[in-house]
Amino acid sequence: MAPLIYSALIISLGLGTTMTFASTHWYLAWMGIEINTLAIIPLMAQNHIPRAIEATTKYFFVQATASATLLFAGISNAFLTGQWDITYTPYTLTSTLITLALAMKIGLAPLHSWMPEVMQGLNLLTGLILSTWQKLAPLYLIYQIQPNNPNIFIALGLMSIIVGGWGGFNQVQLRKILAYSSIAHLGWMILILSFSPPLALLTIIIYILMTFSLFSSFMLTRTTHINSLSTTWAKIPILTISTPLILLSLGGLPPLAGFMPKWMILQELTKQSLCPLATMAALSSLFSLYFYLRLSYAMTLTMPPNNPAGTLPWRLNPQHNTLPLALTTTSTICLLPMTPAIMSLMPF
Amino acid sequence: MTPAHFAFSSAFMLGLAGLAFHRTHFISALLCLEGLMLSLFIALSMWTLQFDTMNSASLPMILLAFSACEAGTGLALLVATTRTHSTNRLQNLNLLQC
Repeated sequence: MAPLIYSALIISLGLGTTMTFASTHWYLAWMGIEINTLAIIPLMAQNHIPRAIEATTKYFFVQATASATLLFAGISNAFLTGQWDITYTPYTLTSTLITLALAMKIGLAPLHSWMPEVMQGLNLLTGLILSTWQKLAPLYLIYQIQPNNPNIFIALGLMSIIVGGWGGFNQVQLRKILAYSSIAHLGWMILILSFSPPLALLTIIIYILMTFSLFSSFMLTRTTHINSLSTTWAKIPILTISTPLILLSLGGLPPLAGFMPKWMILQELTKQSLCPLATMAALSSLFSLYFYLRLSYAMTLTMPPNNPAGTLPWRLNPQHNTLPLALTTTSTICLLPMTPAIMSLMPF
Repeated sequence: MTPAHFAFSSAFMLGLAGLAFHRTHFISALLCLEGLMLSLFIALSMWTLQFDTMNSASLPMILLAFSACEAGTGLALLVATTRTHSTNRLQNLNLLQC
């Protein structure tokens, strides 16, 4: 793509999210979200292959519907209360409609069916933008709504954790696995949103770090299938150590950083005396751990002197900038001892 | 719920049902999307008329600008889909299933 067009689209992506973050009026928030959607569509369709066009079409329909529903809910709220303020949604109907529209935007269950297919059709960089940057603006709006009953958040969250785990069981395509992992992590995030919004912020930050490092590792070796994961040892051997640790961190195992949000969320749910919910969430995240372990197995335990699972690829010189990967991998693996410091920064 | 609110709400819901239940052609989904945007335009115009405020009088025009951008994007995707999938039928979008 021409550099001028590419930079215009990237700047528009930044502009859209910034507009939504800076807004207190429903209309400006909707405008920021629309700009985000319109800016990422050419990025998704840039290589014009049939899969990319199909993914772009599905993404466009889902996001356009969700944006229209969001604006409709904002206008209904304005008609009912006389205010355009984002934080003032006293009626259950409008706040539920806003929550469902934003849930469709970020791909929470039961509005998640577009997510694996869209992620599958994109190249890894656009998939990374889709699963990290595009989630920020809708999550900010969900954060601001402050509904009167937390039941819808709990339902969306628990369903997303279960669907995100169960749906990824049978997948061999890495991008679909990453989509289901995104669904599960956003489920954890929205579960705790009504009880402790700072913990939701912590979850999304840790999730962005982990996903960034995983996508960067896959971009370095250009793998999109479990079969090609088994040739990682031939291309970049250090990744056979770091990527399984990133995967286990995504699965939420101590002593890695992915344990931090889950631990804090379970603690908060227990304080709110919602122990069965906490148990169900923790057990459902075991599903996700299963396929992360399968990826780790394919990467590390299929090396020689075992039978190699794939033929030896060309060892081309990687021309990538590995500094972001290094930074985010270090945070993903080593951030758990910082938990007391991070918790003291959170306003409770 | 005032009659104006009910009117544009039912128009929006009909358009949303059309968008959700379309089965054959791509372009009928795009038309329903335009119907959604039209009902929102009417809603914003009714806001200015009913509440007698000039504060948000430009909102319908800005909505029209964004809706035109979205319609243009949708039509560009329709053309791209017809180029790659040889038809605009929705059952042909089956390359990405598991």
